[in-house]
Amino acid sequence: MANENSLAHLPERDRDHECEGVGPSKVCVRVIAVAELPSRFGRFQVVGFWNNRDGKDHIAIVHGDVVGRHAVMTRLHSECLTGDALGSLRCDCRDQLEHALRRIAEEEHGLVLYLRQEGRGIGLLNKIRAYALQDGGLDTVEANQALGFRDDERDYAVAAHMIHSLDVRSVRLLTNNPAKIDGLTQYGVTVAGRVPHVIPANPYNRFYLETKASRSGHWIDLDGKPHLPEQNEPVVVGSPPER
Amino acid sequence: MEHVEVLIVGAGVAGLACARALADAGARPVVLERARGVGGRCATRRVDGLPVDHGLAFLHGGDPEFLAALDAVASPRCEGWPARVHGSGAPCQPAAFGWDQRRLAFEDGVSAFPKSLARALDVRLGQDVVAATVVDGAIRVTVGSGETLACRALVLALALEQARPLFAGLGDDGREVTALQRLLATLATVPCLTVLAGYPRRAGEPAWDMAYPEDSAVLQLLSHDSAKRSRPAQTALVLQARPAWSRRHVGGHPHAWAAEMLAEAGRLLGPWAAAPDWTQAHVWRHARLEPGNELAAPVLVRLAGGAALGLAGELFHPGGGVQAAFASGRRLARRLTADGG
Repeated sequence: MANENSLAHLPERDRDHECEGVGPSKVCVRVIAVAELPSRFGRFQVVGFWNNRDGKDHIAIVHGDVVGRHAVMTRLHSECLTGDALGSLRCDCRDQLEHALRRIAEEEHGLVLYLRQEGRGIGLLNKIRAYALQDGGLDTVEANQALGFRDDERDYAVAAHMIHSLDVRSVRLLTNNPAKIDGLTQYGVTVAGRVPHVIPANPYNRFYLETKASRSGHWIDLDGKPHLPEQNEPVVVGSPPER
Repeated sequence: MEHVEVLIVGAGVAGLACARALADAGARPVVLERARGVGGRCATRRVDGLPVDHGLAFLHGGDPEFLAALDAVASPRCEGWPARVHGSGAPCQPAAFGWDQRRLAFEDGVSAFPKSLARALDVRLGQDVVAATVVDGAIRVTVGSGETLACRALVLALALEQARPLFAGLGDDGREVTALQRLLATLATVPCLTVLAGYPRRAGEPAWDMAYPEDSAVLQLLSHDSAKRSRPAQTALVLQARPAWSRRHVGGHPHAWAAEMLAEAGRLLGPWAAAPDWTQAHVWRHARLEPGNELAAPVLVRLAGGAALGLAGELFHPGGGVQAAFASGRRLARRLTADGG
């Protein structure tokens, strides 16, 4: 049985950590605190990070002993207040998060990086603006980009540094978006594989999936095209994509 | 009619940063500016030889590219300015005093920064762009003198309210433009009435660099501008009014509102501050964004016929302010370079 306390020494290790940073934004992170996080999805530990760039508290939700491990199942999740916490049906963020947490709980070692992008001062108000444009039938690529839910470069730089801080040697990425592998690899993360993120169809997600499908056929899309402002991730329901 | 590849309207920090980055990538952008000088709100006036920053009072940021551009300015720096901050009122940008921000001014005035960006660029002053239309796959721009220029890509690096009418003239090319027009219609900037005032040195010398009074309905800030200069012959203050007060008085006569602002300075600092040797008034009709209005990225849309329209400025980058203006200009330049091949 793995020693789940090997995360516990990280805050001490990082107390004086200072580095050149990762990526053009020179992102540096430190592990600040680690605690148990029993949840309805499994028994996890939560790791709180500080970073030098956006003033936001990003976290990792960890299952098992990931320190020093290879091929750790890893999911990058970007905060979505309306979906994650409020259960909005305008997006699939909550389904994606819940599924990822269940999935890593089934693994011996796994982690979800929960990136607090909405706290960056541009997220929530602009998301509501984007929804207003959608309500008016004006959901366009450029307008969504200007409203900017995504800052992939910084997300990957933060995520990569968090993975290094946890001393995870390589990851199996839970994603349907092959571009994410390049994003992380660019910042020195060894991606040992990709696991399709397949959300089982159930009575709870059927409604919104049907709503999405009826509103805009291309939203359910296996090609990795961006389709939602929130998670930039195609939805795959039921069975894995055949490639 | 002159044909240019990329035409940038507005020689503020956003427009200049965009032009600079395009020029560095080998393009030859042309910048049109309505005013007689570059810099927009990053502005310095010379009064009896004394530089006075009457737009933004200091520069701040944490982005390495932005800080490198500041370090490239030839003027001596007032590093850490403002070091002495008085009062508990809200600064224009609350983030300015964050731990991760470097703050500074220049002894020659903050306009040293845009001047440094503009070096070796084709910037044409006194050119007021009055209309933009799409003709045969190119964007045709008309300036106040009646002259026209044609371009393949037009960048509007202007205040939102100035960009909107030009943008509207290019519309009706589909959902993308309509969506952006709808979006921009919901955003706004605030005005700022400004008074520059000079005093004999013996009259008064505040013990602070910047003051943000909490208990004034009139003034948002008082900048002790002469504290940036090495041997100022006089004391210079810059008074900037609150957004709501500015909006109420912007239609009035400058003599009237300037007198009220000076009287308020007298109330806050002592009678000497109400009786300067000289004053000048300036209206910043579009001084800055309302909080919460920042978008996340510059805009680049393809119009019918393949011409490109870009929007940059502090609105188009998180956080707002000069750093955001600079970053949005550079990001737009990168997209234009990647797009144009």
